[in-house]
Amino acid sequence: MKISTFLENKQDKPLKKLIGKMGVALFWVLLWALAARWVDSPLVLPSPLKTLEGVIVLAGDFEFFVSIGVTLLRVFGGVFISVLLGLVLGLAGGLNKPFYEIMNPFVSTIKSLPVVSVIILINLWIASGLVPLVVTFLICFPVTWTNVVQGVRATDKKLLEMAKIYNVEQTRIIRDIYVPSIKPYAVSALMNAIGLGWKVTVTAEVLANALPSIGMNLYYSKIYLETDLLFSWTLVIVICSLVIEKITLHVIGNSRKGDGQCPLS
Amino acid sequence: MSIIITDLSKIYGEETIFEDFNLVFEKHKITGILGPSGAGKTTLLNLCSGLDQPDCGTIEGINFQSISYIFQEPRLLPWRTVRENLRFVLNQNAIKKPGPHEADIDAMLELVGLTSVGDYYPQELSGGMRQRVSIARAFLYPSELLLMDEPFSSLDCSLKNRLIEDFSKIWEQDKRTVIFVSHNEDEVRRLADVILTFSDKPIRILKKEYLGDNSKKL
Repeated sequence: MKISTFLENKQDKPLKKLIGKMGVALFWVLLWALAARWVDSPLVLPSPLKTLEGVIVLAGDFEFFVSIGVTLLRVFGGVFISVLLGLVLGLAGGLNKPFYEIMNPFVSTIKSLPVVSVIILINLWIASGLVPLVVTFLICFPVTWTNVVQGVRATDKKLLEMAKIYNVEQTRIIRDIYVPSIKPYAVSALMNAIGLGWKVTVTAEVLANALPSIGMNLYYSKIYLETDLLFSWTLVIVICSLVIEKITLHVIGNSRKGDGQCPLS
Repeated sequence: MSIIITDLSKIYGEETIFEDFNLVFEKHKITGILGPSGAGKTTLLNLCSGLDQPDCGTIEGINFQSISYIFQEPRLLPWRTVRENLRFVLNQNAIKKPGPHEADIDAMLELVGLTSVGDYYPQELSGGMRQRVSIARAFLYPSELLLMDEPFSSLDCSLKNRLIEDFSKIWEQDKRTVIFVSHNEDEVRRLADVILTFSDKPIRILKKEYLGDNSKKL
C-alpha cells in the first residue's frame, strides 16, 4: 500500500510541475490581457488573443517560414562557428600561456565593444545577409573561449600528475582528462551563446537590413504601425528560443548518457 | 641497478627540504620511509617520479618512463569505469573497448577482488575499493619502480589490513622496487624490507633498519 502510494506520488510529480508552470504562464497572460483591456488600444498594446491571431495569419504565408528558417540558420551558423572555434582556441589558450596572452587582448576588446557598434562596423565591410552571422560569432565567441579557458584551468591537477607519471600520451590526456573536465563549462557556454545568439542575430538583421529575416519583419511591423504583428513576431522569437533551448538541453543530456558519465554524478 | 641519490638539495621559498642529501634505495626491495608529517617525504617521491626537479644534486637509476605511483587518494578518472581507468594507463587508444591487455586487466581485477565491479564508475565504489583499483593500476603498468604516498592513511583499520594483505600478495608475484612513505610505523613494519626514519626539515636519516622476512607482521 505504502509502495503504491510512493510510486503514485513519484508519477504525479512531473504532472504537478507542469500544472504549476502552466498556472504561472496563465497568470502572466491574464495580466497581459487585463493590461490590454485597460489600455484599450491595439496600436499600443494588443491583447494576447490578437497576438495569437497574428501568428496564425503569418503562418499562412510561406515567407513566414522562410524568414524563420533563414534567421535560424544565421543563429546556428554564428553559434556553431563560435562554439567550435571557442572550444579549439580555448583549449589551446588554456594549455598554452603565450597563446592565451596573444588571444586575450583580442577577446577582451570584442567583449567590451557595444553590440551596435560591431553591427554597424561589420555592415560597412560585408554583405547585409552575412552581417548577423558574423556579429553573432563575434559576440558569442568570447563567451565560449573564456568558459573553455576556465574549464582547462579548473582541470584536476592531481589527475594530470597521475597521467604524467603513467606516461600517457598528450592527445589522450586531452581526450580523457581535459575534454570531460571542460564539458560543463562548454555546455554552459553553449547555452549562453544560444540565448545571446538569438538576440544579437535579430538585432543585427534589423540594423543591417538583412533579408529575408525575422528582424526585418519586426522592423516592417514597427514602421507600418502593425503592433499586433510586432507582438506576433516577438512571440515567434520567444517560442523558437524556448524550443531550441529545450532541444539543446535534451541533446546534451543524451550525449552525456552515451559518453560514460557516471549515472550517479 | 639501485636508485642512488647524491647531494640532493631542494628549497621551497624559505624552507630547505633537502640539503646535500644522500641515499640509496635497493632494487626489488620495499623501502619504508617514516617521518613527521610535512617534513618532505612526499617531496622525495615527487623528485623520484620527475613531478618535481631537484635544485641541486642527482638521482640516478630511475627510468622515468617506468614508474607507478599509488597516491594518498586514488586519482581515478570519475567519468571512466574501473576497466577504462586501467586501460587509460596502458595507453590503449579505444579506451571503451577491450584491448590487447584485457587478459592482464582481468587477472589483476581478480587478484584485487574487483572482478564484479569492473564496469562500475569510481563514484559507485567504496573508498577501499577505489584504492584497490589504484593498486591494480600501479601493478598493471609495466614499471620498475613503485612509489607509494601514504596509500592506506584514509582507510579504516580493517580495510587497511585487507589492502596491506592484497598489496603483499601482488608484490610477492611481481617484486618491484618500492618506496613507501608513511607516518604510520605499523603499516611500514608490515610491508617494508628496509625502514628509514627521517628527521624534520632539512631532512636527515635518523635511523636505517633492515627487517628480515620474519619481522614482517602480516
